[in-house]
Amino acid sequence: MTQLILFNVANGLIIGAFYALMAIGLSLIMSLSDVINFAHGGFLAIGAYLAYTLSPYVGFWGGLILAPILTAILGLIAEKFLISRVYGRDPLYSLLLTFGLAFIIEDSTRFIWGAQSVPYDVPGWLMSPLSADYFFLTGYRMFMVALVALAVGGLFYVMNRTRLGLRIRAGTLDLETVSVLGVNVRVLRNLNFGIGIYLAGLAGVLAAGQLGLQPTIGASVIMPSFVAIIIGGLGSLTGTLLGGLLIGVASGLTAVFLPSATEAVIYVMMALVLLIRPQGLLGEEGRF
Amino acid sequence: MSFLKVESVSKHFGSLVAVDGVSMNVQKGECRAVIGPNGAGKTTFFNLITGMLGLTSGRVVLDGQDMAGIDPSHRVKLGMARTFQITEIFPELTVRENVRIPVEVAAGLHLSPRMPAHLKASVNDRIEQLLEEGGLTRIAHRYAGELSHGDQRACEIMMALALNPRLLLLDEPTAGMGDDETHAVARLIKRIHRESHMTIVLIEHDMRVVFNLADRITVLAEGKPLAEGTPAEITANERVQAAYLGGAA
Repeated sequence: MTQLILFNVANGLIIGAFYALMAIGLSLIMSLSDVINFAHGGFLAIGAYLAYTLSPYVGFWGGLILAPILTAILGLIAEKFLISRVYGRDPLYSLLLTFGLAFIIEDSTRFIWGAQSVPYDVPGWLMSPLSADYFFLTGYRMFMVALVALAVGGLFYVMNRTRLGLRIRAGTLDLETVSVLGVNVRVLRNLNFGIGIYLAGLAGVLAAGQLGLQPTIGASVIMPSFVAIIIGGLGSLTGTLLGGLLIGVASGLTAVFLPSATEAVIYVMMALVLLIRPQGLLGEEGRF
Repeated sequence: MSFLKVESVSKHFGSLVAVDGVSMNVQKGECRAVIGPNGAGKTTFFNLITGMLGLTSGRVVLDGQDMAGIDPSHRVKLGMARTFQITEIFPELTVRENVRIPVEVAAGLHLSPRMPAHLKASVNDRIEQLLEEGGLTRIAHRYAGELSHGDQRACEIMMALALNPRLLLLDEPTAGMGDDETHAVARLIKRIHRESHMTIVLIEHDMRVVFNLADRITVLAEGKPLAEGTPAEITANERVQAAYLGGAA
């Protein structure tokens, strides 16, 4: 029993790490540009499929490095030519635009790579369990968690220690004032969107190795990612990280005791948070 | 020649005439106050100078350059910095981070992650110098949102100065402050004006501040120019007294 619980907690942490990676990117974009990016899951799928296509040529490691970067570049292009056009309008416009974009991306991946699930190879030595007792602790899973931690750490470094990060934080608080101070807000929003999409692409590559690859991979993570933001608190990256891990573990634990409720439990948690602490666990009062 | 030349500017909002043919010539190094009863169109007048609002008619010329068609952020680059009636700082950044943003912009640093070593030192020096001048050094590590009203205003003024403006526009710098804070902010503005010979235009409610700071005063009433002159001339002006006391001129 203990082992079963541990198995599901470990599983939950890993799924939660995906949610967190996705949610942090979503949250960055939402905070700075007021865009609820429904296409975020689509970019995750693009990252995953790009890694799948590239890895025969550049290997697993090459794919891991290149796919998220290429995905981020696609994100920069999408922001510049599509999403930037609806800035400053009713949020409904960006919602409709990204919602449509999500469908376009999903059908494009189906068109290019087929509707069937395709296998994504991870180096064999990474797949072997680290211990006989805890068979579920494969090297790959540990590696994923480490990589997510690295990505989040890197993001926190960028946000707190670099000029770009300082300007993004300032822009999140008051975009107009940043602009009055002479910062090029158009470039700022573009780069910020690129960072968010990079994280989605990275989540995609990691997910491909863990969950396998099908066109709906993006759609299945997007709603939990929103839930992670709401639970953690919009505008707080630490909160979003916490929210993602929390719902991952919660649904993992639920899988032990009430398997049919694994999906429902995160929405119940969201409802509870909204009732008790509407600004989210670490969110600022009065936002969202 | 005037440094800032405002030539009979008007602003209509539909049938409402908010500013009606106001002219103002500010000399280089002058501190000019714009006063007037509530609803006199002072803030609208300000927004016409900064370009936040488009002109219905008239002209704004800064140092010989016509501002027509130049948007507000570009005017900032041309040396026109302003503060707002509601303090515009980043509450969840520290005071030092608040000042850092415009200092880096003024140093020509954009979003590339590289920063040449000589610039790094000069940027940091400039930040500390501005914090010092604004009396903010000992609270530089605190979140700007936690500061007193007066310190927040000082932070905001220092952020505007960080852009090395040639013209500083201050919209009610002491709005909503108690006596001590009003006094401190007025002293800060006076010191900036005296030490840097900055050209300053300010809107102000508090007459003690106005008479203490301004070289000349422009009075607006109901969107129209009512009077202009030195503080002594304005005090003696019967039309101004009438406008403020609400009686007929």
